[in-house]
Amino acid sequence: MSTASEPVASGCAAAEPQAGAVKLTMILAGAVFVLMMVFGLIMRAAQGQWIELDPALFYQILTAHGAGMVGTAALSGAAILWYFSGRHVVLTAGIFWAFLGLFLLGVVLILGAIFIGGFGGAWTFLFPLPALSGGAWEAGAAAAFMLGYVSIGVGFLLYYLELGRQTHERYGSLARALGWNLILGREDNNPPPPTIVAAAAVTIFNSIGIILGAAVLVASLVHLLVPGFEVDALLAKNLIYFFGHVFINASIYMAVTAVYEILPEYTGRPWKSNRLFAIAWNAVLVFVMAVYWHHLLQDVVMPPWMLVVGQLVSYFSGIPLIAVTAFSTFLYVRGSKMTWDLASSLLVLSVAGWSVGSIPASIDGMISVNKVMHNTMWVPGHFHTYLLLGEVAMAFGFMAWLVRGKTISEMGGLDRAAFAAYLAGAAGFVTVFLFSGAASIPRRWAVHYEEWLTHDRIGTAFSVLVVLGTLVFVLRFVARLGRSES
Amino acid sequence: MQPVVLLISLILMAALSAVCVLAVRASRGPAPGPGANAKRTGLIWAMTILGVIVSVASLREWPHALAATGDALEVNVSGGQWWWDIDTTEIPAGKPVTFNVTTEDVTHGMGIYDDDLTLLTQIQAIPGYTTQITYTFEEPGSYQILCMEFCGLAHHDMVNEFEVVAVEE
Repeated sequence: MSTASEPVASGCAAAEPQAGAVKLTMILAGAVFVLMMVFGLIMRAAQGQWIELDPALFYQILTAHGAGMVGTAALSGAAILWYFSGRHVVLTAGIFWAFLGLFLLGVVLILGAIFIGGFGGAWTFLFPLPALSGGAWEAGAAAAFMLGYVSIGVGFLLYYLELGRQTHERYGSLARALGWNLILGREDNNPPPPTIVAAAAVTIFNSIGIILGAAVLVASLVHLLVPGFEVDALLAKNLIYFFGHVFINASIYMAVTAVYEILPEYTGRPWKSNRLFAIAWNAVLVFVMAVYWHHLLQDVVMPPWMLVVGQLVSYFSGIPLIAVTAFSTFLYVRGSKMTWDLASSLLVLSVAGWSVGSIPASIDGMISVNKVMHNTMWVPGHFHTYLLLGEVAMAFGFMAWLVRGKTISEMGGLDRAAFAAYLAGAAGFVTVFLFSGAASIPRRWAVHYEEWLTHDRIGTAFSVLVVLGTLVFVLRFVARLGRSES
Repeated sequence: MQPVVLLISLILMAALSAVCVLAVRASRGPAPGPGANAKRTGLIWAMTILGVIVSVASLREWPHALAATGDALEVNVSGGQWWWDIDTTEIPAGKPVTFNVTTEDVTHGMGIYDDDLTLLTQIQAIPGYTTQITYTFEEPGSYQILCMEFCGLAHHDMVNEFEVVAVEE
């Protein structure tokens, strides 16, 4: 396998003992992805009035779906980044197990809060909704939900501390790992490979995001215990959306390392860090943290300059994605005579899906457009595009590669059918969301008007295809895992 | 506005998807030539210039601008779990209306819909703040306020309506 720079010998050896932990993580991630997609299917069918669902249960499922998908995207992204970072730095296995243990503890708390405690305040826990349920759940359920987030956040901080520490040790500083020598034109006989540049950037921005998320979680928990303790709702909203935006973006930026590390096996061309690549990642580091204001474009009491920054960065974030990541991917693919198996097909699809999904997101990031699109179905339309056809496709591509074996061969009939079902299902599913957004259908409504049912029913049909494709990906992974380890 | 936004989005998404498909097909073709990086530079400049033009055009007039004081009719709207209260049930057509929006509990979103269920404009209602938005209704008829920010168990039931009436000159 060619990589951007020579991997440290001990790094390769160190990655092996953790391959088991990473594979276990991907089994869990695959299983939860299936479950969460079924939740999504249930919600769309309920909105289309094909099944009856009590609104309280609908909003509980909505909460589980949001928290579960975001959490699992982050979990799978973290496993991918850990696996490939292990090729370049020596990472402590115990930290990953602690991370996974804290993550699972968080999952138990969150599921208990939702399905035992009845918490249905959405994954965004917008202050002060967790404390004001209107009788739907008790404060204890809200507290358990938020403690689940805290547990997951602590696990991620441990993860990033280890990743940052070992990257710093190997490359001398995070600045060097971010490729600043490349940017400044300084000589560097061991420039950081793309995975390390990504690791350094994500370590910085997601640590900041999680710490600010922890601040608003603690404030919300104190508010639950001492209702007289008030938090400014607008400040809390800023902190929540900073955390939420950075966290979900981090999942994609971690998972993209699968593209950097795996595609060269197929194209025969190493993915190297260069000046443009480093500039793009340093821009991403700033953009990811500066763009979250696009979630608050209808909070008109925000300082106007913040909303302007939100709009501008929404658009300009697309440049490193489309002109660097996507452009480079297709440059590597061009003329490579590569074999299109399930892994390579999903990984290339993921870059395309991520890029295509940035278009409706950027357009919704315009304040004037946002006035009529914000919190309509347009929003799940664009984020499902770059998650379902982006991050999740990256995770499935990585899983397919993990069990591929040493020979690369074209997709068989079942793989081809599953890929086609997933692609067609996801493309149709997100397109229906966009049409629904343009038809002004609000998001997160348990009960839909008659006028909206056609949208919901077509969306439900497409989501069945997505679930079927995903089931094949996950079952195939589990089946081949046993074979590859025997 | 929504159909235009949808059309532009779908065209751009389809165009980028087509480029992706062509790029995948090109895996069987020749390797990229020496001009590939110049194309990338061109793409970066094109995206930058387009971004500047669109940004200036869309922000030259502040999208949240309120009608000048005294020009507009003031309507107070307050929200709570799960109701909207409007202090005016009839609003004149053709005259700017400034909505002063508050909430008594959690964050809500005031979305104004016309009779065809098309969203005309919206604003967030934030605990502890009064948010303001100006809108001019051109057509008389029934309008609805729907909640656009998830606010709990009966979020989807948080609906109220008002009438816009023709005013004789």
